[in-house]
Amino acid sequence: MRAFDFAAPRDIADALGLAGDTSAYVAGGTTLVDLMKLDVLAPEQLIDINRLPLHGIRLGPDGLRIGALERMEDIARHDAVAACYPLISQALLSSASPQLRNMASIGGNLLQRTRCGYFRDVATPCNKRAPGSGCPAQSGDNRGHAILGTSASCAATHASDVAVALVALDASVRLRGAAGNANARADGERTVPLADFYLRPGDTPHVENVLRPGELITEVIVPPLEWARRSVYVKVRDRQSYEFALASAAVAVDLRGGAVHDARVAVGGVGTVPWRLPAVEAALRAGQSHEAAAALAAEGARPLAGNAFKGTLVQRVILRALTELAGPR
Amino acid sequence: MRSVDREDGPVKVTGAATYAADHHPDGLAYGYLLTSTVARGTILAMDTAQAEKAPGVIAIYTPFHPLELRPYAKEENGELTPPIQNTDVRYYGQAIGLVVAETFEQARDAAALVSTRCDAERPRASFTDGLPSAVGTSVVDVLADGVSSIDEALDAGDVTVTATYTTPAETHVAMEPHATVAFWTGDQVTVHTATQGVRLVVDRLSETLAMDPARFRVINPYVGGGFGNKWDMWPHTPLTVAAARALGRPVKTVLTREQVFTVVGHRPLTAQTVSLSAARDGTLVAVKNDGVSSKSASNGFHEQPANLSLALYGSANLHVSRKAVTLDVPATTIMRAPGESNGSFALESALDELAGELGMDPVDLRRKNDTPVHPATGLPWSSKHLAECYTVGAERFGWSRRSPRPGTVTDGDWLVGLGMATATYGAGRGQASINVRLRDDGRAVVSGTAADLGTGQSTVFAVLAADRLGIPVGRVVPELGDSATPPAANAGGSGSTSTNGPAVQLAADAAKEALVKLATEHEKSPFHGQEVTFSAGEVRSGGDGMPFGELLTSLGVAAVEATATSPRNPVRDHAFRSFGAHFCEVRVNRWTGEPRVTRWSCVVDAGTIVNATTARSQIVGGVVMGIGQALLEDLRIEPETGRFGNATMADYLVPINADIPPIDVEFLNYPDTLLSDLGARGIGELGNVGAAAAVANAVHNATGKRIRDLPITLDKLL
Repeated sequence: MRAFDFAAPRDIADALGLAGDTSAYVAGGTTLVDLMKLDVLAPEQLIDINRLPLHGIRLGPDGLRIGALERMEDIARHDAVAACYPLISQALLSSASPQLRNMASIGGNLLQRTRCGYFRDVATPCNKRAPGSGCPAQSGDNRGHAILGTSASCAATHASDVAVALVALDASVRLRGAAGNANARADGERTVPLADFYLRPGDTPHVENVLRPGELITEVIVPPLEWARRSVYVKVRDRQSYEFALASAAVAVDLRGGAVHDARVAVGGVGTVPWRLPAVEAALRAGQSHEAAAALAAEGARPLAGNAFKGTLVQRVILRALTELAGPR
Repeated sequence: MRSVDREDGPVKVTGAATYAADHHPDGLAYGYLLTSTVARGTILAMDTAQAEKAPGVIAIYTPFHPLELRPYAKEENGELTPPIQNTDVRYYGQAIGLVVAETFEQARDAAALVSTRCDAERPRASFTDGLPSAVGTSVVDVLADGVSSIDEALDAGDVTVTATYTTPAETHVAMEPHATVAFWTGDQVTVHTATQGVRLVVDRLSETLAMDPARFRVINPYVGGGFGNKWDMWPHTPLTVAAARALGRPVKTVLTREQVFTVVGHRPLTAQTVSLSAARDGTLVAVKNDGVSSKSASNGFHEQPANLSLALYGSANLHVSRKAVTLDVPATTIMRAPGESNGSFALESALDELAGELGMDPVDLRRKNDTPVHPATGLPWSSKHLAECYTVGAERFGWSRRSPRPGTVTDGDWLVGLGMATATYGAGRGQASINVRLRDDGRAVVSGTAADLGTGQSTVFAVLAADRLGIPVGRVVPELGDSATPPAANAGGSGSTSTNGPAVQLAADAAKEALVKLATEHEKSPFHGQEVTFSAGEVRSGGDGMPFGELLTSLGVAAVEATATSPRNPVRDHAFRSFGAHFCEVRVNRWTGEPRVTRWSCVVDAGTIVNATTARSQIVGGVVMGIGQALLEDLRIEPETGRFGNATMADYLVPINADIPPIDVEFLNYPDTLLSDLGARGIGELGNVGAAAAVANAVHNATGKRIRDLPITLDKLL
């Protein structure tokens, strides 16, 4: 860990004013501090945002709005979230441990870095950490790596569970940057669908999202979806808790007369970004069997030596979720 | 059986127990290891200029600026040579230097500024690729009269099964990372270091620092888990002691979690090809096991997993071989039930396969081949109640509900299977000395160099001394882990209680005698010149009694003490082993394949159980480790680089509470009176042996899939 400056501003404008190319915002610190200890990240300045007014969990006619500093555990245990969006609550509760969930903010969760062992070990090359240095995961230890959205430069799995549920729900993030940013309002605010927020690695895996330097996530917005009450987050891993997903599925179904009328399907543990599956959703809308729909999940997959099983597993996770929500079909 | 709470429980849960890293002598400096990032080669240069200028840096030691350490005189389970004496790199993550600074953070940050240039060679890192060139030690053949080879014997059976079973590298991940604190006073050095035996460290340090053992005091009363990898002394210890001498101030080095994966050894990989041949009624006629282990180029230890096949089931014909594949990987070392844990996975899986081929119940097949004598030597077992373990275990677990047809029992989305396996581990009794001191405050202090790794050894000392002296357990003060006390058994090989226990009893008796002598001979004693006895903590004569503390206080004598030595077990005409039986239920999700252990019973025949509370925890711990071995643990070696691919606690998975079902443990508690008057064998490793096979057998019963390659992860069951 390198020496750094520390500031804890009380309002958003001050925070934005302090931010620059070599600063980092810190909320719960559950990713950032780890990576600083490992020398993976070495910001010159930490801006503690915990005093900023970015709180509140509000359910209204325009959907669910979650302040970026709300803690994972508080969101998961919120009655309206658990009732109206079970997949969000379940995804959060399947993540990390209670101690971590009590610390980690939703904004930070969406920005958590990959668990790829090469990214986290500065003694090894990694295009995400040190652009152009190489990607040992392509031929090395890659059981946990992604099969979807990968490139020759990077196969790092996106680690967030709740981002998978949010992508399934067409959620957006509100961002605030310094005033005058292009494509933003005069006060520097813009709203980006989460599906567009994350970037696949391509040949620039170090660029993970559309955030501009100093830009801050202020709020997560989940549009209303009545039938999201019938939803589930199924997470499969080697041990029963405290582990990242080998494969997971966030699924909601609109069940009419016992048949799936509409569905939302996104998967985790298999993609370089939270992975929405429109083809699977379309097949379900078209009345295809669960199995036929799930079979489309791994289309375009590019497995590596150690993770080929994920192609099968991700289909099974979707099937398990659909069976749980709609019975066998 | 007595059930006594851990005497060290309160200090541990309140944080008052001082582990090695908790010592902060005045003027302390902090060491941080530099480690290699190639697996094989020669270090050409290490640029330390930038690091030397970093804040707080005191010294940087490397092969180019070494601390002088002499070659080790003896081979143990650790590295063959002391660190940084040459520029050879033998594995990825090897200690190649030590940065010492005013704070831990400064040392760590400076370490990141050292750049090392190596002439790297391609490492030998694939166990599979090395198997054809494995090098053997001795082969053991026990053949019936007129049989010329094991293969001939195999052919003579009615049913034969042959399969190869493989196990990955594992690592211990004890909760307490290895740490050493050293400070010198003149030519004497005090060392606090995490170890399974302070005497081991004294011996090693005296070899490599070329100093009289009497000049070392090694102290380590509390150990946060060992499992074998705190047995030998590892590189950070001599470096820290030598740095403290060179700098003239105390130094502390604590390994990072990542360094614990490479600097202090791991359990080797194994492959065993097992053939079992039986008559139609299940009688084994031939057992053959060709076992291979990986071995690090940095040391000599490897497992001999096939050996267990010589010791468990009766068979007129037995064959084992032991070979090793040398790899450029970190040190291979002992880990809980070395050889027998992996050996039992193969043998007990093979028994299950044979039972299937014979159409026999797996318990019945084992009963059929239970034997009152050691199968290879013919010596009678000192005390063996394995058949009763099967009976009691089957009853407690409900084994009769097992379907003999795999894959036929479901519960919702889960396939349900039952499995079992035999547990066993060797037993013995070495020599140990213990001191018992009866103090004027009415307490009895029991001391010796033994270690309590969380096993309950110190509570065992308290129970045995209390019973011998007739005082409450709470009035015994165990003092373990100090090299200045009499030489008792190090913690390893399931031998602590069997070796140290009798010595505690003898020392308590000797202390009683010393007290009686004082009572009768001291002129001011109320018992002067009388015939006295000692019972229930009191000196008695006629109808009068006086607690020993009161007597000592009245005489102005602070304490009386005695040291006694219990000798090595002299019995040569019997064989000694602990036995047990595991039964478990496993559920496998029919969609996603993840296996979950949902019930467990273990019945234990390990002689006298001194303290059922801590003994139960030992068995439970062994089973938990076995569940990890069966389902999770896999230290993956990158074949190209020799680097461990998952050397962090986030990536190397061990079970968490949610993975562990309630575990039922039953002790038969038959004293092994041929081993000692105490009759206690050992329980440290026993619970681990057979556990992984029981899980694998249950997975087969649930799914019909026989997984012979640990761990049994969901991808193998999809």
